[in-house]
Amino acid sequence: MCDTCGCQLHDHHHHDARVVDVNRSLLEANQRQAEANRRHIEEMGAVAINLISSPGSGKTTLLERTIDALKDTVSIGVIEGDIETERDADRIRAKGVPAVQLTTGGACHLDAPMVHGGLHVLEHFGRGRKFDLIFIENVGNLVCPATFDLGEHRRVILLSVPEGSDKPAKYPATFRSADLVLITKTDLLPHFDFNLDEARREALTLKPDLAILSLSATTGEGFTAWLDYLHGLLPR
Amino acid sequence: MHELSLAHSLIDQILDLAAEHRASRVLRVRVTLGPFSGVVRDSFEFGFNVLKKEQPQTAEALLDLDTPDPTYVCLDCARVSVIPFALPGESAELLSPGPFPKKCPWCGGRQLSPKGGTELILNQLEME
Repeated sequence: MCDTCGCQLHDHHHHDARVVDVNRSLLEANQRQAEANRRHIEEMGAVAINLISSPGSGKTTLLERTIDALKDTVSIGVIEGDIETERDADRIRAKGVPAVQLTTGGACHLDAPMVHGGLHVLEHFGRGRKFDLIFIENVGNLVCPATFDLGEHRRVILLSVPEGSDKPAKYPATFRSADLVLITKTDLLPHFDFNLDEARREALTLKPDLAILSLSATTGEGFTAWLDYLHGLLPR
Repeated sequence: MHELSLAHSLIDQILDLAAEHRASRVLRVRVTLGPFSGVVRDSFEFGFNVLKKEQPQTAEALLDLDTPDPTYVCLDCARVSVIPFALPGESAELLSPGPFPKKCPWCGGRQLSPKGGTELILNQLEME
């Protein structure tokens, strides 16, 4: 019942109610921080990559091999997102690269405010070092991270062979948001019924101009194309 | 479950707008969830209805959700069509014959590319 006029209409519009058209994104606050992060990263002279995938598809291993290949020529910093533990950051630090661990304590994705904090800590850890390339390894999850811009310049989605080639079709929002899809663990292709053509075709159906590369961090097959992609992003 | 964090940022946005318009109570909130936004309507609604009770300004707000049907471009014939998602339990054999479910109603092609639909928008507020 309406307290103002005593009428019985459940849905009654109050006499002094005002209707305000807003038409703003629900992600506005995150988006604003993401733009600020992007500017921050550019002022640092760097380019940032947001790595998204299921847990266990090889994001940290990809970073370890990438650091091995590039660390003499490219200055790399890493922001690691996980629900708990410093393990991934420790693996990166063991390679001699500054790494910040963000533990979300349960949240299934990183958001731009968390990465903002991470960037400041990374600068602190870097002690004045200039970064060329910053990797942000998202929480292992093929669903939620897709919605949140972190301020990255490129979004790379990993799809490992054991996961199956039907993943792009099953997780369309995530694959549609990608700039590059990296099919990883290709050394396992003989052991799984992963169909490379199916994975490529379905990813390209979602986003016809998507870049797709495949590689194995174990054998090094396809790794050169990935390194070329990274070199292509670096400021000249 | 990122719906809860989205519902949380919606409540923050509403509280800011209520303060800006000197309103003491929000009566109705109109939101559009795009069909390819990756947001589950029921979870979002649930999160909103739990979180709204934490603030007197939003405690009685009704959430009016608009979830438009998805639009696709056929990569074979380039024509655009709107094909609704099948509801759970609904017989949708015509719409969903295979793992990449839909067919172009114009040419029968299977290469349907999602068009737009990623929007998450706070459209309108009714306050007093």
